[in-house]
This record gives sequence, structure tokens and C-alpha cells, in this order.
Amino acid sequence: MANLNADDLRKLFAVWAAVMEENRAYLIDLDSKVGDSDLGLTMSDGFRTVSQTADEFDGADIGKMAYQAGKAMASAVPSTMGTLMASGLMAVGKELKGVETLDESGMHAFFKAFLDGVQSRGKAEVGEKTFLDGLAPAVNSLAKDAESGVSMKTAAQNAAEAAHQGFLNTKGMLAVHGRAGGRGEQSRDLLDPGAAVADLLMKGFAEFASGLAD
Amino acid sequence: MKKIINTPEKFIPEMLEGIYAAHPDMIKSVGDDLHCLVATHKKAGKVGLATGGGSGHLPLFLGYVGKGMLDGCSIGDVFQSPSAEQMLAVTKEIDSGAGVLYIYGNYGGDILNFDMAAEMADFEEGIKVESVVAGDDVASGAPVKPGGKNTRRGVAGIFFVYKCAGAAADKMMPLAEVKRVAEKVCDNTRTMGVALTSCTVPRVGHPSFEIGDDELEIGMGIHGEPGIRRGKLIPADEIVDEMLHQILDDLPYQSGDEVAVLVNGLGATPLEEQYVMFRRINQILGEKGIKVFHTYVGEYATSMEMAGASISLLKMDAELKELLAAPADTPFFKQFQY
Repeated sequence: MANLNADDLRKLFAVWAAVMEENRAYLIDLDSKVGDSDLGLTMSDGFRTVSQTADEFDGADIGKMAYQAGKAMASAVPSTMGTLMASGLMAVGKELKGVETLDESGMHAFFKAFLDGVQSRGKAEVGEKTFLDGLAPAVNSLAKDAESGVSMKTAAQNAAEAAHQGFLNTKGMLAVHGRAGGRGEQSRDLLDPGAAVADLLMKGFAEFASGLAD
Repeated sequence: MKKIINTPEKFIPEMLEGIYAAHPDMIKSVGDDLHCLVATHKKAGKVGLATGGGSGHLPLFLGYVGKGMLDGCSIGDVFQSPSAEQMLAVTKEIDSGAGVLYIYGNYGGDILNFDMAAEMADFEEGIKVESVVAGDDVASGAPVKPGGKNTRRGVAGIFFVYKCAGAAADKMMPLAEVKRVAEKVCDNTRTMGVALTSCTVPRVGHPSFEIGDDELEIGMGIHGEPGIRRGKLIPADEIVDEMLHQILDDLPYQSGDEVAVLVNGLGATPLEEQYVMFRRINQILGEKGIKVFHTYVGEYATSMEMAGASISLLKMDAELKELLAAPADTPFFKQFQY
């Protein structure tokens, strides 16, 4: 059983910052088809802020650290997607306040709180072609694996695959939110950039967890 | 672009510096952030009222901070939401233990940030925050179904919400009551706009939309959101007939009802034209047996130099009459008891 502490979470946040940086142009390109093309910038700036804030945070409380990181992200990138990701981290912060280590079911709680935080802020449902369609399948996969005692390394890989499949499945869905929602039936042909962010976050989690023991 | 500005980048900070300099007895900034503004006068134990939104709509939003109306306001760049952190700074400053009510317009960015600010205020400061989202623009969505979500944008009618909720808070009503009043005003306010020309966002440098010299657009939003009909310019009476028809159809009125009327200029339409509009509004209401309780004509919610106007009606009851008639004293709105 893995037991992640605040330092491990700092490493995860650093991987997220690097993944968003590497995929900046990819996100800009996806977003330019439906949004205002700033997603690559807000996600790379935003997750860099998350990583820096966590590094500067003094303490072992994972919840407090996630809350502070989310708040810093909200100020750094107050765009819609920036605020939604910040809301996810702040919800994690509330859920895990006082927690200093996370095992497999703890990481499920982490991502479940992130999902719930984004959902309650954005008021969207799964199936409406958003970030949720990438993250929700990953959270379901983590729940299943935590119950059956799968290692975090394997659970993270499964979750990343589920998120990627969820992202691909957004092609064909009808968008109801944001500018994509204004395009009606035409939106079905496009992949959702928000779900791409969920895909990248879970890819980053798998990359981080690949360094853990089985 | 033809504007009296120094540089587009300094448009908002310099506008704010001017406002603080002109009204030092009424408003001040929270710390050094000019985008966070509160009333100098603080009444102990009163529910705090905060609003916020993008710049470019003066006197909305910050102009209504003062006695008998709002306690604080955060504003963003032109047509951009302020951040949740700025809203939180205002919230902390205006809370005096009775909680804070957010009143703002129905726009995506504002909702996300105000919701986040409310959550931070509760979680970090233990301040109880409630929110009322105004969506009075009849042109921007279908009527709300009971229990349904309002998809309409908030426009000039929010003035009535500020005024009545402000008076309710000033009477030391508790948070739940002030919220009830604000919701009642929202439920009974309807607005319809017309635009003749576009505005220009300074940092963009060109008009937000194209519209012909001989054209108007009925129902256009205060950021240039598409309306319900574009057509050739028609006489004032016909414009008013079309606008008022939409409003009166939306909220059933009966002979004997009383309303407050707000004729609001969008920035470049002179008061003379606004009174030409009111003349016709008054005729129609008279024909329908609807009594005008009070009339406001002037600039209450603008879109910089956009030409056009909006009409808002608030259906009155005894409680709202008393609250609307209460005195108010802010940099941009002053009223004696009437």
C-alpha cells in the first residue's frame, strides 16, 4: 500500500505543471476550434502557480496545501477553466483538511473531491461535453481499484486510460456549455478541450505514480 | 477610436483614481487595490451588500456604493469579471457580523468568481454569504419556469434590486429578509433594450460589432450580445411600443397595478431622447390602467459610448414602494425620501 505525504503531492503538482507546459500548444490548438484559444496559457500558467505555491507551503497538511494552491491559481488565472480547476483543488483542500498521508483510497478521495468541486462550481453534468467527461471515468476507475486492492501505480495507469477514453468519447457529444454550446449540432464533431485537461492531469498522475513501488 | 483617454492600458486605473479623488468622503479602496471599493460610512450590525462586475457600465457597479444602497464593490477590467480574491477582500471589509449579500448580474464569469468568493468567505473567515443573481433582460432568454434556472442576463433593472435591498439592509433587516426582498425585486423586474451604435473597448480599438447608420437592434445586451431583431430605424413611438410590448407580455399586468419605470441611456443617447421615450411609455401604461409610482430617467447602466436605451419596469407592492422611496446617498445616485 502506498502512503503519499505532502512532499509526494508537491512532486505530483510539479509533474502537472510540466505536462501542461509541454502541452501548451496542443491545448491552444484544441481550444481555438471552440473557445478563445487561451486554454493552453491559462493551464500552463495556472498549474505552474499551483506547483510553486505548494513548494512554498510550509507544512504537512495536504488539505491546506491544496487549498492554498487552488486559491493562488484562482488569482493567477481567473478565466472560466482556471477558476474551475482552482475550485477543484480548493474542494480537495476542504475534504482533506488535516490529512497528512494518502493511500489508494485516499487518492480516490482526492480526485473525487476535485471532480465534485469542479462540478458544483460549473454546474454541469457528465455527458455535457466538459472536463467532467474526462475526469469522471478516471474517478470511477480509481474507486473500483481502491476497493479491489490494486496498487497505486496500476490504479493510476488504469485511471489515465479511463480519462483518455473519456476524452475521446467527447467527440460525438453535444456541447451545452460555453462557446461550444452556442454551436449546437456542429459541436458534435469536436473533441472537448476541458476533457483534454482531465486527460492530461491523469496522464501526469500515472507518470508520477510510475515511480512508486508496486 | 475617438476617446478622451491617455492610453488604453491606463483607462480603468485612471478612471478609478478620478472617482476616488472626486468622492473621498463617500468611498475608499480596500488596501491598495483600486478595484476593491467600499463605503467610508459603515453601520454596525447591518447586513453588508456587495456587487461587482466588469468596468465600462458606469454608474454600474461602483456608483451605487453609499448610504442606503451598497456597501462594497469589486470591478474588473472592461467587461471582465473581477477575481474571487478581490470579491473576498471587499466581503471581509464590509461584514459587520450580520453577513453579506452578493447582488450581481447573470454572467458566467461573475457567477464562478462570486460563488468562489462566497465559499472562501465562509471557509476562511466564517462570514455568512448569500447571493442573488439578477437576470432581468427579457430579450436574452425564455421566462424562468418555477424552480428552473434563469438564463436571462442582468442589465439596468439591477438598479431596482440595489435600491430596495439597500433600503431593507439600512432598516436593519436580517440577511434572510434582505435576500427575500432582493429576490422579490428580481422576480418583478423586466427590462428591454435597444442599441443604435456599438461601443469600443479601448484595448481592442475597434467597435464591438457592426451596425448600419440606418439600423437598430432590439434586445441587444450591454456588451453587444445579439438581440432579437435587427431592422431599419423607426420612429421613437414604434420603438417603445415594440420594447414595452415584450415587457408587458412577459409579466402579466392588470389594470390597477403600479410600477416604477426606469428609462436608461446606454451612454451616447441624450436625455432628450430618453424623455421622448418616457412620454410614450407613460401613454401606453395610462391606456392599460397601470399606475406609475415613480420614474427614473437617465444613465444608470451604460455600455460606454453605445447609443441606445433600455426600459425597465418594476411591479410594485406596499413593501417595495416603501423601500424604493427611502433615501439614498451615493456618488452617482442621490434621492430624498419621497
